[in-house]
Amino acid sequence: MAGDDLIERYLATVTRRLPPDAVDELSDGLMETFHRHLAEGLDPAEAAAAAIAEFGDPDQITAAFARQAPGRRAAIILLATGPIFGAAWGTSLIAGKVWTWPIPSAVGAAFAAALLIVVAALVAATSRRAYGHVLVAAVACGGLILLDTATLVAVALAAPALVWPMALAIPASLTRIVMATRAVPRVLAH
Amino acid sequence: MRADAQVLKGHLDVLLLAALADGPLHGYAIKESLRAGSRGRFDLPTGTIYPALHRLERAALIAGSWSVVDGRRRRSYRLTDKGHRKLVGERAKWRDFADAVTAMLERDPWPATT
Repeated sequence: MAGDDLIERYLATVTRRLPPDAVDELSDGLMETFHRHLAEGLDPAEAAAAAIAEFGDPDQITAAFARQAPGRRAAIILLATGPIFGAAWGTSLIAGKVWTWPIPSAVGAAFAAALLIVVAALVAATSRRAYGHVLVAAVACGGLILLDTATLVAVALAAPALVWPMALAIPASLTRIVMATRAVPRVLAH
Repeated sequence: MRADAQVLKGHLDVLLLAALADGPLHGYAIKESLRAGSRGRFDLPTGTIYPALHRLERAALIAGSWSVVDGRRRRSYRLTDKGHRKLVGERAKWRDFADAVTAMLERDPWPATT
């Protein structure tokens, strides 16, 4: 019957966007709403339309889930604080004359490429329709931990001397390593 | 009613905790309890209740468990001890706040000083 079609289409849309447990929970609530409207005497098509109206359209629901998703929150915080790290490390590396450090250029290029990938992953993880991007957020957090660690190791091994901007950049990276490490299990737990 | 939506957002957490004060409920029943308890004023799109419940669960204020009803998986939530303490605390804070607003808005007008 027409009502069931409407509900099935609705559930197919949310199934593509949300984790299976959330879909089961939504479909239980939606079916209960639908049956209540049927019991009130609406015909199936009307009952389905009324149930969906009461529930909110898939975009509205996906957006509500995405707003609450821990992966998205972590990604937003990491992106928002990114420019501070860029400025602190940029100043440090220029002041420290990074081009004179004994680092192979291939390693430098690999670092730059990895940084771009991490930023792209963080941007993807902030998308409002991307509740399913939990893994992307977790991988981006992991990538950032590795990049921070690599930077600190490079400074420890290759920098001929410490320069004053590093007094800001090094503690900032250490803090970010700790925060990102704590965020990963929270993101994945969901 | 729509004008209430923004205000409601700020109080949604504590309203959801209050809806669970009398015992475990599933998402749809929580939404109905909000609507009935507010005499129809707080009528949220049901779908937006679920992510809010998940957030409260991550904060350990409520705990969810699965059961099977009519062949469908159903998730019900109950208040945890932490959630109960939070509700009691928020209730006291709200009374203080509401008393202060009421006192301010409903006080007798100042006598004229001319």
